[in-house]
Amino acid sequence: MSSARLPGIRANVADGFEHWQSFLRDRPRLKIFLIVFPPALVLAVFFLLPLVFMAYLSLLEGMPPAPATFENYMRLVTQEVYLSILWRTTVITAQATILTVLIGYAIAYSMVRFSRRTTMILLLVIMPFWTNYIIRMYAWINILQTNGVLDAALLFVGVINEPLGVLYSHEAVLIGFIYIYLPLAVLPFYASLSYLDQDLIDASMDLGAGPIKTFLSITLPMTKNGIMVGVILVGIPIFGSFITPQLLGGTDNTMVGMIIENQFVEAFNWSFGAALSITVAFIVVAMLVLGMLAGGNFFDLGGEDE
Amino acid sequence: MSALSSAWNLLERVAYNHGRKAGLTCLVLAILYLWFPIFVVTFMSFAEREVLTFPPSSLTLDWYLVFLDNDAAISATITSLQISFITTPIAVALSVLIAYAIDRYVFPGKSILQLVAVLPIVVPLIVVGVAMTIFFGIVGIQASFWTVVAAHVIRVIPFTVLILVPTLVAFDRSLEEASYDLGANELTTFRKITVPNIMPGVVAAGLLAFTISFNEFVYTYFVKDARTQTLPTYLWDQLRQHATPEVNVISVVFIVFAISTVLIAVALTNVERITTHDG
Repeated sequence: MSSARLPGIRANVADGFEHWQSFLRDRPRLKIFLIVFPPALVLAVFFLLPLVFMAYLSLLEGMPPAPATFENYMRLVTQEVYLSILWRTTVITAQATILTVLIGYAIAYSMVRFSRRTTMILLLVIMPFWTNYIIRMYAWINILQTNGVLDAALLFVGVINEPLGVLYSHEAVLIGFIYIYLPLAVLPFYASLSYLDQDLIDASMDLGAGPIKTFLSITLPMTKNGIMVGVILVGIPIFGSFITPQLLGGTDNTMVGMIIENQFVEAFNWSFGAALSITVAFIVVAMLVLGMLAGGNFFDLGGEDE
Repeated sequence: MSALSSAWNLLERVAYNHGRKAGLTCLVLAILYLWFPIFVVTFMSFAEREVLTFPPSSLTLDWYLVFLDNDAAISATITSLQISFITTPIAVALSVLIAYAIDRYVFPGKSILQLVAVLPIVVPLIVVGVAMTIFFGIVGIQASFWTVVAAHVIRVIPFTVLILVPTLVAFDRSLEEASYDLGANELTTFRKITVPNIMPGVVAAGLLAFTISFNEFVYTYFVKDARTQTLPTYLWDQLRQHATPEVNVISVVFIVFAISTVLIAVALTNVERITTHDG
């Protein structure tokens, strides 16, 4: 292409844009449509539609075409093994979430109130979170297994005489979950604590309240929303998890996520897997709604809502 | 009653005198807890013996050479990078459109778009992963490299939207008006005013997208075909079979990757932006 023609082409392109712009300026709705359509299409096709298909498959005997049935859900509620797995999943989720939230709040509180190097500590807290999930679980396998790092350290110090072998236990699963989700809990707590007006705390102290009373009557109620967001962020992924119980829990600590995975990887009963997934989704939605009713304003993106 | 209140006063005094110390101790212990496993695997990647024992008898770089010589591991690494490099621009572009629409316009279905864009964060990964498998299965789309890319785009969008919406909201639109008043057209204004102003947010979103995609496991595990192996799925197979110390080397790869992306993100934007979205 000769360089002499380039300005001409450039002018043409600019003209084209100019034309296109005025065309769109006269048709604001078309403009909005062109902006919203591509992402909406992608979300609809690859996210919403799959969920609909899964709900549909959960009501069939097998891959379509197949007769409709309620059998997949009946199997879930009538067979004791599945109910007990759902219950165990709920218990582990509740325990891990409570522990994570308590520790996470203590960390965030100490960061905001007692530490001056907040940025650096925040970095130290989030960096492990960006390390691969499976790597972090693998690290804990090394630490917790019989004659692993923990056993070696405790034997060396002389606290124990026999290796403990904490791996493949309920405790190991809890340790793994807390480890994974602690940074995720710290972030919303940190945000809501650092938005808290220091004057309120000073006022409470000036009026004679001690640190505990001030915490209970000022800090805690005013960071309630952040706490609920943390509970949601931590509780939901734990409920659906299968990696952590698989790698750290062994056979006695089966969670519902492992059963779902099994339907697709070994048992090849997709309909039943779909019914289990829908059940998990419903439980999670219930958790989310409860959390939001309790004040966790999770979906507030801060856009203009008219 | 007075015994109770004096006990309470004692507690308050203890909290007043020792609260700071207790809090900082807790902070240090938590950071040790978060970093200890990372140090353990890094250290073990230099262990000589094949049996995983601690402490290792002697130190070596052999396992790094084994990793570099392992075609399966290297090709999984390359596949992971390819997928992340394709996913990132797609997800960021779509998220810019979503954030722009949410920030600027009122349209029917806006609140639904707002909800659906961040919904994948709160639906357990396994539920969406399984749903995608079922969808591709019923519709008849063969699992492949590209189904993994589609899944990754969905996985990433909520995070990039959560970064980009506040970026666009914070952007002072009177700058654009000033540009129009001075005679610039929409395209020039967008190029010279809007883009440079939202660029830090876009870069942060891109880094986050790349990191999430590179580490993504659950969606990938369900929608990939047998030939497409990413580094996380390769790792999973290794752990399920029998882990050689080579796994420690792969761990170090992931750790170095994580630390450097976070540091780059911090250098390019502020920490608040990549860590919080609470307003």
